[in-house]
Amino acid sequence: MASIGFDFPAPQADASVDELRREVRSFLDEEARQGGFVPLADCWCAGIDPGFSRKLGARGWIGVTWPRRYGGRELSALHRYVITEELLAAGAPVHAHWIADRQSGPLILATASEAVKNTVLPEIAAGRCFVALGFSEPGAGSDLASVRTRAQRVAGGWTLSGTKLWSSGAQSCQYMTVLARTSERDPQQRHAGLTQFLVPLDSVGVSVSGIRDMSGVEHFNETHFEDVFVPDELVLGAVGDGWQQITNELALERSGPERFLSSFIVLEKVLQAHAGSMSPQQARVAGGIIARLRGLRAMSLGVAALLGQGRSPDVEAALVKDLGTRFEQDICERLREFGPLRMQQGDGDALQDLQVDSMLRAPSFTLRGGTNEILKGIIARGMGLR
Amino acid sequence: MDETDRIVLDTAERLFSECCDAELVNRAGDGEVPGALMKAVLESGLPLAWVAEEAGGVGGSLALGFNLIRQTGGFALPVPLAETLVANLLLGQAGLALGEGWTGLAYDGGSLPVAADGRVSGVVEGACGVVEAELLVVPVLRDGAVAIAGFEPEAVTARHYRNPAGEARTKLVFDEAVPLCLSAPLTAMSESGLYQFCALVRAAQIAGALDKIVALTVGYVKERQQFGRPLAKFQAIQHKVAEIAGEAALSGASVEQAVRLLSAHGQPFADDPALFRALATAKLLASEAAGPVAREAHQAHGAMGFSFEYPLQQYSRRVWSWREEFGSEFYWSSQLGMAVACGISSGATAKVWDFVSP
Ligand SMILES: Cc1cc2nc3c(=O)[nH]c(=O)nc-3n(C[C@H](O)[C@H](O)[C@H](O)COP(=O)(O)OP(=O)(O)OC[C@H]3O[C@@H](n4cnc5c(N)ncnc54)[C@H](O)[C@@H]3O)c2cc1C
Repeated sequence: MASIGFDFPAPQADASVDELRREVRSFLDEEARQGGFVPLADCWCAGIDPGFSRKLGARGWIGVTWPRRYGGRELSALHRYVITEELLAAGAPVHAHWIADRQSGPLILATASEAVKNTVLPEIAAGRCFVALGFSEPGAGSDLASVRTRAQRVAGGWTLSGTKLWSSGAQSCQYMTVLARTSERDPQQRHAGLTQFLVPLDSVGVSVSGIRDMSGVEHFNETHFEDVFVPDELVLGAVGDGWQQITNELALERSGPERFLSSFIVLEKVLQAHAGSMSPQQARVAGGIIARLRGLRAMSLGVAALLGQGRSPDVEAALVKDLGTRFEQDICERLREFGPLRMQQGDGDALQDLQVDSMLRAPSFTLRGGTNEILKGIIARGMGLR
Repeated sequence: MDETDRIVLDTAERLFSECCDAELVNRAGDGEVPGALMKAVLESGLPLAWVAEEAGGVGGSLALGFNLIRQTGGFALPVPLAETLVANLLLGQAGLALGEGWTGLAYDGGSLPVAADGRVSGVVEGACGVVEAELLVVPVLRDGAVAIAGFEPEAVTARHYRNPAGEARTKLVFDEAVPLCLSAPLTAMSESGLYQFCALVRAAQIAGALDKIVALTVGYVKERQQFGRPLAKFQAIQHKVAEIAGEAALSGASVEQAVRLLSAHGQPFADDPALFRALATAKLLASEAAGPVAREAHQAHGAMGFSFEYPLQQYSRRVWSWREEFGSEFYWSSQLGMAVACGISSGATAKVWDFVSP
């Protein structure tokens, strides 16, 4: 019988990683003390603060793995991991630069022209340039290959038409990576004929409008493209390679600490508040949550190590995201053991606010970045079931 | 893992594949002594994996031993290799001579006190490997510290029983029993360290068995056809398999993480908060996974999985047994939770995050 055991190796740590962790922690402690930010639930999605992102950029904490000539520091994936997990654990408002740091930057690095890399990457690393994701559409969610946004060849470039939906943070972004059809649909080869473009959001014909979500925040957007001219140099990679590119991006998108820490700050605050008076039952809830977070972190670090070895751990990443996102929802539920949630945000105390906010944001955890049903399909395929 | 570790594990894999099939496991569960397997395992030297080379052992790393233990879990190996490994490690740490053959581990969490005259009295409810043992290793309390004692099996009263998986367990009554050998108090060993180490042993066994349960399930749903296609083609089945694969992977990753920490620490039986967190996590998650993974695997197998002949029950019954030994998920979650409550309220630990990340 073939072994299906998955491997989650330990990343190679060194003293510089610990040193970096200390620096990030003391920066965050200091910022929180001075009121530089208010800790937020689901901070990597709901917390948009360009000023805070610029502070991180100034410290050199964005794009750390990229080459120096593009504004990076050539640090390891583990260094980046440490920065991101500390930011999440503190509930810092990091959404503005999050997507660009996590996936658009690496995508640009891998596929863009030298001129684009030279202009865009240093700006991203400085925390001044943000990128939104233009995958989903009104008619294309899980079935992403059915996107209808089209790009047509014209002299010197392409014209883009269509509508992208749910793009997080687009209202504060300078660019969107847009997945579009560049040749007719072929039912035999559904994934062929797709291409990604790096579209400046101030181009003529682009309009971005916010969509209020159920937690009350306007963080995602609808974006229309009406015959938007995109020059050839903003095509990402080869025409028709779009699907392969997003598959690579999704491995980065799926296994990071944001896939189990979205509600961590709520846990931190609730346990801090109840540490002195915990009942045995509450202690069991707390212990169970801590253990699962530790286990998920070990898996997620394992995926980071595999990525660092140049492997493509798609299935392992899907496992982390499926387990992790269901669990970050579960944390919100389990914390009700510490007291009832009765008031809407703003009507309760700070702790109630945080808990209610995370409850209202929780439904999104198992949707964004590929739903858990889609992830399970990827896992099943990896195990030879499909 | 280094080259020698790899060779030892490959040897073990070959030996277990050759000498331990599903039928043998079932017969052993019914009380038949697996003589040939026991002989082969002893002759292979595997029980000496954690014994120093100077003492005639393999001198293997902690990681090697735990990998080996995980492997035994994946074979439902019906011999007390894990217990003998631990017993021999304890003898080595205590500077005592090894036994000749199998060595039982008379320990279920409580260390028995040694009286001033050197005699030992008390009860061990869940001793392992006693049936085959020529020597019993017993952690005892001497002057308030852990020491290791060795006993001849004849020196104690034994009542044998089987756990729900059909594995031999023994209730031992020590009535002013005189040890064959007794170490000095060991400063490097703590009661809690010993208990959590044994918990990690069970967690590693569970992780091995969970991987096997997932593998059996994957194999079965790809073979079995209903409605004109393999069960594996039904999305409901695919999603259940993905879920149990995730739980098994989580247990495996946390066992590995705990073993890495233990290896880096150097004192495997120390009372250390960082070790405690990692080892508690491993046993908690493994015990917690045992229920749902076994349940969904049985569901996917239909009636076949409920039959005695089909091997799934060997693993589901084992994980149900092992999750209770050395602390269930209920025990470890309350230990871990109380540690968080105490750490934060006393100010010893600044943040809850410190319990998750170093
Ligand atoms: C907070 C948030 C932020 C987001 N940010 C972005 C962004 O920045 N950019 C972007 O492009 N998109 C973004 N999205 C969109 C996200 O990627 C989609 O929501 C997701 O891919 C699912 O698509 P859908 O919502 O259309 O649901 P659908 O695809 O319509 O699915 C609805 C339900 O049906 C299930 N389902 C669908 N197909 C199958 C199948 N084959 N088998 C079994 N079940 C199936 C799904 O799992 C889900 O439960 C965001 C979403 C959220 C909630």
